[in-house]
Amino acid sequence: MNTNKKVLIAEDNSVFLLLLKFRLQKEGYTILTATNGKEAIDLIEDQEPHIILTDIMMPFISGLELISYVRNKLKRSTPIIVFSAAGQEEIVLKAFDLGATDFMSKPLSPNELIIRVKKLLR
Amino acid sequence: MSIHQSLFNYINESSLIIQVTWIMSAFFMVVIIPLTFYFRYLRKHLRKQERTVALYEQKYESYLINYLYSGNEQEIISPEQQVIINQLKRSTSESYKRKILISVLIKLKNEISGEIAESIQTLYFHSGLMQYALNRLNHKKWYVIAKGIRELKQFHIKEAYDQVILHINHPRREVRKEMQLYMVSLFHFEGLKFLELLETPLSEWDQIQLLGVLERLESKNISNIKLWLRSNNKSVVFFALKLAKIYNQFECKEEIINLLNHINKKVRLESIQVLNYLDVIEAKEILKENIEKRTLEEQIAFFKMMENLYEKSDESFIINFIHSEVFEIKVSSLKILKILNKDKFTKLKVEFPDPDFLKIINFLENN
Repeated sequence: MNTNKKVLIAEDNSVFLLLLKFRLQKEGYTILTATNGKEAIDLIEDQEPHIILTDIMMPFISGLELISYVRNKLKRSTPIIVFSAAGQEEIVLKAFDLGATDFMSKPLSPNELIIRVKKLLR
Repeated sequence: MSIHQSLFNYINESSLIIQVTWIMSAFFMVVIIPLTFYFRYLRKHLRKQERTVALYEQKYESYLINYLYSGNEQEIISPEQQVIINQLKRSTSESYKRKILISVLIKLKNEISGEIAESIQTLYFHSGLMQYALNRLNHKKWYVIAKGIRELKQFHIKEAYDQVILHINHPRREVRKEMQLYMVSLFHFEGLKFLELLETPLSEWDQIQLLGVLERLESKNISNIKLWLRSNNKSVVFFALKLAKIYNQFECKEEIINLLNHINKKVRLESIQVLNYLDVIEAKEILKENIEKRTLEEQIAFFKMMENLYEKSDESFIINFIHSEVFEIKVSSLKILKILNKDKFTKLKVEFPDPDFLKIINFLENN
């Protein structure tokens, strides 16, 4: 089991957030959740998650700003998976430039997400 | 003297402007005070409503997650899931709660794919929500029908095809638009078969939306568009021409060539442009035969086509148009001549020393 691994999910869609939380909890991860970028930054600073899963479009602070904050301000190399909507290729490229580790296009498969999270935490 | 009496006297003795000001103030007081109370009540009511919605949303989200994670591989619906479905069924009888539940389901369905998305669809079917959407299709009000079709599309209910297609020629374009999007979103290129039955116009915006859905499809195996190119509905022909261009439907060239003699000028013009795009040389030869009888726009479009599809044998034809009164035709002809016979093109400078003509020659020579 992965009980010692902390996963932060930053997503403003509450039901999607809940679904991912349940799915990742089933895999034994400790889940931290944030419904906007500001909450996510507070959790990153306080809890130091092992991996960050973030949506790009979020209130207050966007996913891109979040990546930039983690890489440039906090100087952390925590893996970051970005969720993007279809047709947001340019934003995904920007996310990679800022230091995102991987991306998944919505609608996404939770099972595939688990595989990617496991791979990055191995 | 009472206070009222003295106030009354004061106003009576005041100048007109003071009197008007007092009357206006009194009027606004009478209006503003009840309005303030009304807005306070409205704010309170809306906040309460918001809290109720949030509460139900939370409740349905948790039901939904429990439903999704209480399934098993042996049964389509596990006993635990059936309990949740029964609980939700009770809620669906109230339109207000049904609306919230549907919004929760859609919120999740848009974000995920695979088994979970299918599971949401099963829940939509078994909770009776699908039946409510189907009932909407028989409603008197057009917007209820449109919403019903949209909902069936969002939940990928292909089984509603027969009921949805009935609205193909609905008098309201919003209903028709939803019907068309349902067809294409769920049945992809096959869904475009509704074009064969469409009698109402397919607006430019409708066409853009349909093309947007088609563009996102992984498969690019377009169905046979020949029938739509022969349609009596002008807008269907336009749409089919767009499809022919986007999906390089060279095999439809005969049908598109036939459109060169269509009764509608815009269709003829669009056909020339598509044939040009598809490099159909036969079209050029057909147009050459009667180009002077065609409209000016068609002639210009034809010469644009010639710029793309010229052959050595076109030289004698082109020569006839180098002094055309139409600037675009003149320039196109000279461009083609320059490529086909450079010497002849250069000699034109000497043969026709007209300053305006020389300007064009010099420009083309350097570009």
